[in-house]
Amino acid sequence: MNHFIGLVGTNSDKSTNRQLLQFMKQHFSEKATIEIVEIKDLPLFNKPEDKTLPPLVKEVADKIEQADGVIISTPEYDHAVPASLMSALNWLSYGIYPFVDKPVMITGASYGTLGSSRAQAHLRHMLDSPELKARIMPSSEFLLNHSLQSFDEENNLKDLEKTEELSNLFDDFLVFVNIVNQLVHAHGSNKKAAANFSWENQ
Amino acid sequence: MKFVGIVGSNAEKSYNRKLLHFIKTKYQDLFELEIVEIKDIPMFNQSNDQTHSEPIQKINKAILDADGVIIATPEHNHTIPSGLKSVLEWLSFNIHPFDGKPVMIVGASYFNQGSSRAQLHLRQILDAPGVNAIVMPGNEFLLGKVKEAFDSNDQLKDANTVKFLGSVLEKFTKFVSLVNRLEAPKEEPLPKEDLHATNAIDTTIADVDMAAEDWVEQAAKKVNAVEGNTYVKLNRGILTVDQINTFLASMPMELTFADENNQFLYYNYTKEAADMLADRVPGQVGNPLVLCHPERSLGSVEWVIQQLRSGKQDAVRVNVPTHGPDKFVVHNYQAMRDEEGNYKGINEYILDFKPIVDWYLKQTGLKLEGEIDAGSGASAKDHGVDAGSGATAKG
Repeated sequence: MNHFIGLVGTNSDKSTNRQLLQFMKQHFSEKATIEIVEIKDLPLFNKPEDKTLPPLVKEVADKIEQADGVIISTPEYDHAVPASLMSALNWLSYGIYPFVDKPVMITGASYGTLGSSRAQAHLRHMLDSPELKARIMPSSEFLLNHSLQSFDEENNLKDLEKTEELSNLFDDFLVFVNIVNQLVHAHGSNKKAAANFSWENQ
Repeated sequence: MKFVGIVGSNAEKSYNRKLLHFIKTKYQDLFELEIVEIKDIPMFNQSNDQTHSEPIQKINKAILDADGVIIATPEHNHTIPSGLKSVLEWLSFNIHPFDGKPVMIVGASYFNQGSSRAQLHLRQILDAPGVNAIVMPGNEFLLGKVKEAFDSNDQLKDANTVKFLGSVLEKFTKFVSLVNRLEAPKEEPLPKEDLHATNAIDTTIADVDMAAEDWVEQAAKKVNAVEGNTYVKLNRGILTVDQINTFLASMPMELTFADENNQFLYYNYTKEAADMLADRVPGQVGNPLVLCHPERSLGSVEWVIQQLRSGKQDAVRVNVPTHGPDKFVVHNYQAMRDEEGNYKGINEYILDFKPIVDWYLKQTGLKLEGEIDAGSGASAKDHGVDAGSGATAKG
């Protein structure tokens, strides 16, 4: 069975994205194990010159490294990914490359009607940078809008159609993970490109 | 003009910081630049509101006080640094200093791209409703290969780059003026004018019908107005009423006095209506201004009085070309004020100053150049003040 990391894309105490990942963990427990990983205790990335990483960053990086894939659920702040998630990704590509060729599925929940659509596009853009270079599941998007009203008391998604949509996407992700595992040719050069990427003094 | 320059990196070493310092000194003739660092600003967390902490308030105030903001952004993971994003999140959470603020984006990067993706992305973020900055369109300034770009004195080496950056910054100063005009609070409309003259003032002569043909006679009786050879003490001098009349009649213009209650109290009656530049008849004196003008021009009359009473203008002048090319007729509405500056009414003087111009040209040998465009030069033209707005003998 695949083992995935569910990365909560915010440092907020209250988050429907966290709730969504918790729902997936429970709902898909027959298909995969999902470990929910928080970013809220990571410090703000400040590009230390000596490239020392906070211990927690290394811990998260190891978890990602060992996982078969990552599910990131992101809210949207100011038409974009929250700074806390951006910072986490900065750390996770600063001299270490756990995301290179890692299968990633993106979901997002928002209180409003747009369901973090712009943040998701932005996140794809970031994950595509040479120092992250994740393998993002293409042509898939899971937007949960009006997320405050979406869950019942047992933290189940109330909307059956939405639940089915998510299930189908998750099944596709399982297939996608398999496919990515066969895409081995570029892996060496991707790693190299990531390692060559310089964070120097921008 | 005063700008704030935000260093978009919280790192110890930053070429974007260097770029801002270069801009500050190199272009100090164009604007004053206060460079602001973001490294003390904590990670945004909506469950731990630190809006009122000192570092956030400091940058908030700097932005609020500035005419415009220049943001220098590096590029991390194809986007702006998380530190900069965090600042923008604080500044769009419970406070919104960027709202309506003109912003220019610059960026330096180690590679050729010069932070192009981060800049595009920053535009998108600044456009979010919580931020709502007004980012200058176009005019991208991307500084690639920064390592080679500066000399040992931190000056940009390439002369063309310096020139281009200067031109972009100059455009930004124009953009700032434009936006600040756009964002300026809408002017409060001036108070309405009571053209019916119903707000009696100290000098209003009560209990006489303002519309009466013989208002002057009735009102004079009421207050025992002096006339004839009675002396009146003036600032500075003494004249009899007859002398004052002679004096005012000799003025080479049609003089009209309306008080601050918008009542027409006096004109220097020397000609009959048909011979005047702006016709008046003796029976009109005493009328509220609403009775002195055709209905269509009451809006203009009100506008003129509002300008004068509020002090927005001390005089409104209207060129009235309807008398043909042989006359240069100007209606002057001059505010009258007491020694404390309080509005006391309008001194309207209407004259044809062509005889004066002609005399002057003859004396000096100077010539008027070009065609005389009868329609030009009306200062109040935009507001529809036209020939009809002067007091006229109405039907």
